[in-house]
Amino acid sequence: MFGWEFPPHQAGGLATATVGLVKGLLRVGVDVTLVVPFPVSESPVAGLRVIGAEAPTRLRVHRIPSPLDPYGTAQGYADGILSERGRSGGERSPYGGDLMAEVERFTGLAAEIAAREPHDVIDAHDWITFQAGAMARAQSGRPLVAHIHAIEFDRTGSDGNPQIARREREGLTGADRVIANSHRLKRLCVDRYGVVAEKVDVIHWGIDGSPEGAPAERAQAPFGPTTPIALFLGRVTSQKGPDLFLEMAARVARLVPAAHFVMAGSGDLLGGLIERAAELGLAGRVHFTGGLGGADVARAFRMADVCVMPSRSEPFGLVALESLLHGTPCVVAREAGVAEVIRNAIKVDCWDLDEMTNQVASILRHRPLRDELADRGRREVGLPRFSLDEPARLTAATYQAATASRPNQGASR
Amino acid sequence: MTEICLYAQVHQPFRLSRYRVFDIGTGRSYFDDEANARILRRVAEKCYQPANRLLAELIRQTDGRFKVALSLSGTVIEQMIAYAPEALASFQDLVATGGVELLGETYHHSLAGLADPIEFEAQVGRHRRLIERTFGQRPHVFRNTELIYWDDLAPLVARLGYRAILVEGADRVLAGRSADHVYAAAQAPQMRLLPRNYRLSDDVGFRFSERSWDGWPLTAPKYADWLAAGPGASRHLFLDYETFGEHQWEATGIFEFLRALPAACERRGLRFTHPSALARRAPVGELAFNRPTSWADQERDTTAWLGNRIQDAAHERLYRLGTTLRELGDEALLEDWRRLTTSDHVYYMCTKWFADGDVHQYFSPFSSPYDAYIAFMNVLEDLEQRAGVVVGG
Repeated sequence: MFGWEFPPHQAGGLATATVGLVKGLLRVGVDVTLVVPFPVSESPVAGLRVIGAEAPTRLRVHRIPSPLDPYGTAQGYADGILSERGRSGGERSPYGGDLMAEVERFTGLAAEIAAREPHDVIDAHDWITFQAGAMARAQSGRPLVAHIHAIEFDRTGSDGNPQIARREREGLTGADRVIANSHRLKRLCVDRYGVVAEKVDVIHWGIDGSPEGAPAERAQAPFGPTTPIALFLGRVTSQKGPDLFLEMAARVARLVPAAHFVMAGSGDLLGGLIERAAELGLAGRVHFTGGLGGADVARAFRMADVCVMPSRSEPFGLVALESLLHGTPCVVAREAGVAEVIRNAIKVDCWDLDEMTNQVASILRHRPLRDELADRGRREVGLPRFSLDEPARLTAATYQAATASRPNQGASR
Repeated sequence: MTEICLYAQVHQPFRLSRYRVFDIGTGRSYFDDEANARILRRVAEKCYQPANRLLAELIRQTDGRFKVALSLSGTVIEQMIAYAPEALASFQDLVATGGVELLGETYHHSLAGLADPIEFEAQVGRHRRLIERTFGQRPHVFRNTELIYWDDLAPLVARLGYRAILVEGADRVLAGRSADHVYAAAQAPQMRLLPRNYRLSDDVGFRFSERSWDGWPLTAPKYADWLAAGPGASRHLFLDYETFGEHQWEATGIFEFLRALPAACERRGLRFTHPSALARRAPVGELAFNRPTSWADQERDTTAWLGNRIQDAAHERLYRLGTTLRELGDEALLEDWRRLTTSDHVYYMCTKWFADGDVHQYFSPFSSPYDAYIAFMNVLEDLEQRAGVVVGG
């Protein structure tokens, strides 16, 4: 499996999803060799510790030194963790000349590893690894599954970088099968890249953790025990709509005078938004936490009465499931992939600030609404279809289908 | 000779608009007139009018031997007057055949019976006056909203002058006895109860077009065989009127089925009858309903309307306002409030099986139970402000 990041080295939801998938695959009996295009300063053991006790014997992680950053300037809520490790948190462009050279280097190294490592199927995650996957296939003759979590259109809101778009198109159309994490993303791949629809399986992400195990107690907020709180948690980049959250906050603040707003995460819009908050007269009521990790993320969810995910584009949106798992109601963009599968969340068009205001203000004003959403949402994410095993089982089935579609061509094993 | 009692409910709510928190205090209308008009006209065209014409034809063809009972809520009658007067005229034509018995209910198809006896009585009286005025017929048999019934309701309804009540033939109430008889109410011995035969009713109402059902396709002769089988004295078939042409589309053959039903029944010696005629039969026993029972869902209880936090909160806050508004005597306020008592509003807030994508949402104008609650509470808050009441959430 060609991935792009692995905890604790993570920059966004994709890392969590990759771990989830790997954990699930191991549980359903698929051996995984993970190849990660990241500079590795920590030992692989640290990464494996997250997997679970029996995992190290069956999961192998290869790390290839590379400065690649899948999100470019966009730092995730694990930003703090990343900078602690001395990684560049600066404004480095992901689209510089170096990037493609790094991808090429990764491709060459990864293909070498593929020649060495026994495997029955190749699973490549997103454009950065697609070429590596293709090289591996050329080497081993094993089928290639292109696993797509987001395309350029999601990240940039337009055609984006033509080189990246080309790699996405080639990777997706050239693969034996494609896995997309939502119906919406599948449609985008079919419409924008001409991928054959029959070749694409939609497998929504799962989440690790059962609501039974997660106590529903709310965390104490520093603004007073009964203060209603709305939370934004994610990269502070245009794609995630933090500016929409802030404009909504200004409206909600007028309707719910006691309300406070927490914006957790960092990214290129952060500075501008801090200024904008002051301009809106919300300086004392909007709290920017920067990137959060681990226990702080859980605390942020549990402090909040509602988590808002106003993404302009959101192939999946794991934050919504995490929020519900912590017993925090969620207002999610109607177009997000997660909105296709979760029912006990309130859905809204990201551009409809009035409606978003109405919904968020209502959750903050009406305790029974908050409680019903929290309770039903928490129970819903505990259903088997949101478990890690479900996507793993489906992924294993896609591997089977890919293998059947491409009989072994006799190359190295 | 087995008697067939066919009854259908005719109801449409005044659906709320997507009333937002900043609409409170602006004077914006609560109701989505456009959607209400559109839906009413569609149902009138697909169901009410063709079904009325067919029933009238069957009644005439059989010289009145084919009989049906209907109950029309006050809110559907008001909407027909406003949006489809020809549909109301077709109901009047149908009633004029003499083959239709009209039943009493709460004018606003409300849960007042559960929450507010004074309001219940007011709505039942108002409904009776509307039916008399519109159709020239005085109802003698009562059916409460969604067949919600429990022991305490019987004395109340008896006092209002009704002789019988339609109830759900729930297994836990019948406890092995047959739904195919007339019973007496536990707390009002003169009051007759007609329990719905839910199996035979749902064969038409729910399963008619279900191809995976082993009874499919259901023909009139086959159904008449089922009606004729078994020992009970009468078969109480209670349905939504929208079964004909709306829930079961015309293409399913539902109208052909209905057209052929009277003759198929007569050939098997079955006779059609009205609820008030059954109410004159001697009861075979007494039925006790120690808690509210309805015709909804597998549970046959009231949890489709009052089964979660948001439904309970909305319901309680709504009825807290009743006394104040009746004392205030402002007709416009009272009418808006009464339209909010229509049970559909809390039904849209049902979260039972919502995670599995259940049937409750099929009828909802809102995209989720939560959005339904938000609009309802905003409207209610505006109404409280207009009434000068500070209720507090």
